[in-house]
Amino acid sequence: MPSLNWKHHALVQALMTRGPLKEKDFHAIFSGLTGKSPGAHQGLFNEYLLNINKELSSCQFELRACRDQYVGQVCYGVVNNVADEQSKLGTKYTVQQIAFFKGILEAIAQDVIAQGSISNIEALNIRLENQVLSTQGSQLLNGPLPAAFRNFTMSQKEKTLDEFVQDQWLCCTPDGKIGLGVRSCLDLRGWFRNLDVPFCEVCNEAVVKGELCQNEGCAVRIHHYCLKNKFSRRSGEILCPRCGLKWQNQLPKAEILDEEEEANDAIQSQPAQRPKRKRTKTNETHEKDAVGCGSSQSSVPNSDFRRITRSSSRPASQR
Amino acid sequence: MAGATQDFSQFDISKEEIDKLVAEVVRYVLFKTHQNSGCPIKREELVQLVTKNYSQRALPAHVINAAKEKLSNAFGYELRELLRCRPSSATQGRSTQQTGVAEAKSYVLISQLPAEVYKKYVEDENSAHLSGFTFVVISIVHLAGGKIPEDILWRHLKRMGLCETDASHPVFGNAKQALETLVQQRYLQKDKVNGPEGNTLFYELAERALDGPVSEKMKEYISEVLFRDDSHFVILML
Repeated sequence: MPSLNWKHHALVQALMTRGPLKEKDFHAIFSGLTGKSPGAHQGLFNEYLLNINKELSSCQFELRACRDQYVGQVCYGVVNNVADEQSKLGTKYTVQQIAFFKGILEAIAQDVIAQGSISNIEALNIRLENQVLSTQGSQLLNGPLPAAFRNFTMSQKEKTLDEFVQDQWLCCTPDGKIGLGVRSCLDLRGWFRNLDVPFCEVCNEAVVKGELCQNEGCAVRIHHYCLKNKFSRRSGEILCPRCGLKWQNQLPKAEILDEEEEANDAIQSQPAQRPKRKRTKTNETHEKDAVGCGSSQSSVPNSDFRRITRSSSRPASQR
Repeated sequence: MAGATQDFSQFDISKEEIDKLVAEVVRYVLFKTHQNSGCPIKREELVQLVTKNYSQRALPAHVINAAKEKLSNAFGYELRELLRCRPSSATQGRSTQQTGVAEAKSYVLISQLPAEVYKKYVEDENSAHLSGFTFVVISIVHLAGGKIPEDILWRHLKRMGLCETDASHPVFGNAKQALETLVQQRYLQKDKVNGPEGNTLFYELAERALDGPVSEKMKEYISEVLFRDDSHFVILML
């Protein structure tokens, strides 16, 4: 096993002491230590991480990166991969606080339309007793009496929420809601699996905030930024990887994205863009696209698409 | 990896089992350190992780040594062994060189990185105030001869703006609790001394503050301060 030097150790200790770091901060540390930037020396950077992980894996730890689902930026952290007796020690939170956190996590993760956040009021109204009754197999079943959970006051909840945000288990979204923090994205993959949260078809990370497949019977979810990447590479329609249905509710968004890009590049006007896309589509979908494209122009703003439940019909989804 | 320098062949245990034990000890140390904010971990706790399932006599010592190596190789942490020292009043009349008495051993994690590197990349600025507080308090106790009555200590702290009765100090929160944390982390220990006027509570330097690197740094720091502003500081100690 290759031995690590103090530079590797500095990277690991920085993440362990300071918590998850944004990509640019982590890269800055790497540059400071080695004198080489990760961007220009990708191979060296990857080699460092690989060697670190070879050592860490024997202790069930891992240095990994994940994308913050709200802002789309990459963060690095050292995470624990196994929930065993030792890791249960690794928290300063009380049992009530952990139950509260679980409740918030479930509320966010089980949102049908994958908004990825809940309002402050919803968070404060989470009932801890439900966690005691849950059959998730956690140690809470043998924990303190429900009375202690009932007595978890509003002000305690507020204080706890602040602590969670401070420690990056939760985050405050730009629209003032509570979402999952970087630590949760890095650390809680197993938990998301237990909650049956769908994983992204593109990047294989849990999709707490993302887009759903139009097909009601299909559980596919993809992150916004993953879709954006997919769209920027292909000018044709995107098909759902599992059910093959065209990813229709993305069409207006993609157009708006493309429009923005074009506005920035000042290359083509909007009408000119549409014919180009039509030409690449097959004949049978031509009409649908016309309808889709046409109605998307006069459609309601993008955010409303996400809020509408799957059962409601939209002009763009006419078949 | 089971320590290359450790010879495990004397035990009738597979390499996988050894590796697993070592990993458990490493994880225990890391998580427990986080949970109790750096309070020393008793050797007995680590031994128990091994003896829980294995009864070989010399095995715990080997596993702990292998874990020490692992922590150093993988993370750059030193598993520093501290010998728990007892309050001076309890050791009066007894030689401290006695080997017959089994003093409790405990462990703390110390970063092995060079100081500038640690300061630049690793240090968490959100907890810098705690390090500062620790340093000031043990400096005061050191200058008082290693032992100081409780009320005198608080008198000095009050001059620096921290009152014993402060329950919600903007930086330190509950002042009494902040000092108590230093006792839990074994920088200080408490000692009740019977005096003519009754019991007095003394604070004394404990094993963590007396440990080599910490003690050296502290003396450096104090001498720096004394040279910079000696008159004020010396008067403070009187």
